Formats: sequence, structure tokens, C-alpha cells
Amino acid sequence: MNLLLGFLLGAAFGAILQLSGASSYTKILETLRLKDLTIMKVIMTAIGVGLIGVHGLDVLGVAHLKVKDLYLPGIVIAGLIFGMGFALTGYCPGTALAAAAEGKLDAWVTIVGGLFGALTFAFLFPNLESFLASFGGFGPVTIHGSFGVNGLLIALPLGVLCLWGAAKLPGSGTT
Amino acid sequence: MTNEPWKLNDTGYAVPVMPWWAGGLGIGIVLLIAVALVQPIGVSTQYVVLDGVLLHALSPDLADDSPYLKEASKGWTLATYEFFFVVGIPIGAFLAAAITKRFSTRVVPPLWAYRFGQAPGKRLAWSFIGGFLLLFGARFGGGCTSGHMISGVSQLAVSSFIFSAALFASAIVTARWLYPEQVKQ
Repeated sequence: MNLLLGFLLGAAFGAILQLSGASSYTKILETLRLKDLTIMKVIMTAIGVGLIGVHGLDVLGVAHLKVKDLYLPGIVIAGLIFGMGFALTGYCPGTALAAAAEGKLDAWVTIVGGLFGALTFAFLFPNLESFLASFGGFGPVTIHGSFGVNGLLIALPLGVLCLWGAAKLPGSGTT
Repeated sequence: MTNEPWKLNDTGYAVPVMPWWAGGLGIGIVLLIAVALVQPIGVSTQYVVLDGVLLHALSPDLADDSPYLKEASKGWTLATYEFFFVVGIPIGAFLAAAITKRFSTRVVPPLWAYRFGQAPGKRLAWSFIGGFLLLFGARFGGGCTSGHMISGVSQLAVSSFIFSAALFASAIVTARWLYPEQVKQ
């Protein structure tokens, strides 16, 4: 049952990535070159809906949350490495799967490279572990948690701001 | 269009058919269903899981040597909610592309070809290197675009805000280095 749910949610996610252009090399690169921000509008809308919805569900007591640990400087270096890979391939780990399925051979090679990258990390991990948190591991810190307020108090205005920003950013619409 | 010549004979350019707001709303709804029923969405861990299961099948001793692999691919099985979510992505994307008649095969993206030439070897070599960096960075950071940017930022996780900011800064600089302004006359 859980497997079927996972599959259906994944299939919906993959279909939306494909239909909204997020799996397109050109669309991603045009966004990163700041020429056509369509994908940025998609991401900001998703985050806006997510912020308001997740914290709304949390208030109702039905959210299953999983906040990732903060560790410095590891998380910054990780983001920088990921960003280089993102611009070189034009895909992220999820959209590469979508692009591969719609016949893009460079996405297949991206996935193979990714499997090797993940494997390399897995075997380097014991050596990297202490460096990962060299300035400090702070655990699963959240913005509202550090202010000691309810999440919705921050998520609601920030979510509205994201949705407003998504609407205001220039894009090419569906053309 | 004249200053974007790669779009003129562009068979590999999957033009979006869903407006940005519908795409964003759809992804947001998938996230909310996942959060309400199971857990936030994530993709990149499953690359490690697949690595673990494949390696365990080839050489159980080698796989057992990595505590990280052991932890990620618990029980060396792919029959999990998380893995099935990731399996669904290409199948959903394939059906979407097929139904909207936008399925097309190519090796070199037209934009890349315009800048770096048609040679497939060059594109594929950089795709491999880029893919390697993508997943190395994602595992280093503990998440990718879906796990950190969509799920993490939505939960107001500080690590996810920092990861996303570093990701975009680096990706924008890299994209501008690959495609300097002069190219587009």
C-alpha cells in the first residue's frame, strides 16, 4: 500500500516536472543564466504552497516533518558542489530521471555519473565525517524554532511573499 | 527569436505545456500529500540505496564495508516507499511526454551544441562529471533540490536555506562561465 502510494506520488511529481519544463536542459540553463525565470517561478510557487501548507498541517497535528541537520561549513561546500553539477548537466537528481525517461541521453549519463558520485561519497564518508561538522553541527535547526515561535507565524507571510515573488518575476509563461 | 538561434531547429527543447503556477501548485500539493501521509519528499538518498543494493549483489563484503551504504540501504532492499517514489518519477515523466507528444531523443542539447558543438562525447563527458558532482554534493549536504529546496525550505530548515543559497550562487556563476554574455550577440 505504501509502495503504491510512493509510486503514485512519484509519478505525479515526475509528470509535473516534465509538463512544466523543469526537466528541460534549455529551461534550466535559461533560468540559471537569468534569461528566462520560468523554472524559478515554478520553484517559488512550490515553496510558497509548501511553506503555508506544511505549517498548516503541522498546526492541525497531521504533518510528518523531517528537518535536515545544519553543519558548517559542510552544507555551504555541499551546495557549491551541487550547483556546479546542476549547471553542467542542466538537471538535478530528480529531473535527470524525468529527462532520461523522455529520451534525453545526456540525462542517462548524468544518472550514471550520479550513481558513481554517491558511491564515492559513501566510501569517503568515514573520512569526511569529522570535517563535515568542523565548525559545528547544530542539529535540525529551524528558523521558527530558533525564535521560539509557531512555524505558521513565519511560514504564512514568507509563503505569501514567495507566491507574490513568483508572480512578479519575469518569465516566458508557457511559450 | 533571432538572438536565440538554438531554438529555431530545436527538436530537443521540451516546451512546457503547463503554466508555471500550475507546475508549482502541483509540486506543492505532492509535497503536502507526502507530508500528511508519510514524510517530506526526497530523491538523492535513493541513488545511494541503489548503489548499495547493486554493490551488495555484486560483492556483499565490499558493501558491508561502508557504514554509510549499510545505513542508507537498510536490509539491501528496493521495496520501500522512498524508492518507489523515485521509480515513479521517470514513469510519470514518460507518460506525460508521450501523452502530450513531446517525447524526443537527443544527445546534445541545442543550446549546448550552439556553444560547444555537436560532438556527443564532449557533452556526455561533462554530463558524467556534472552528475558525479551533483550527487556527491547532494549526499554531502544531505539532500537535493527536492529534499532541501522544496521540502527543507518549506519546513523553515536553516540548513536548507543555506544549501539552496549556495546552490544557486554556484549554479549561476557556473552557467555564466559556460555561457558568457558575448556568445549571445
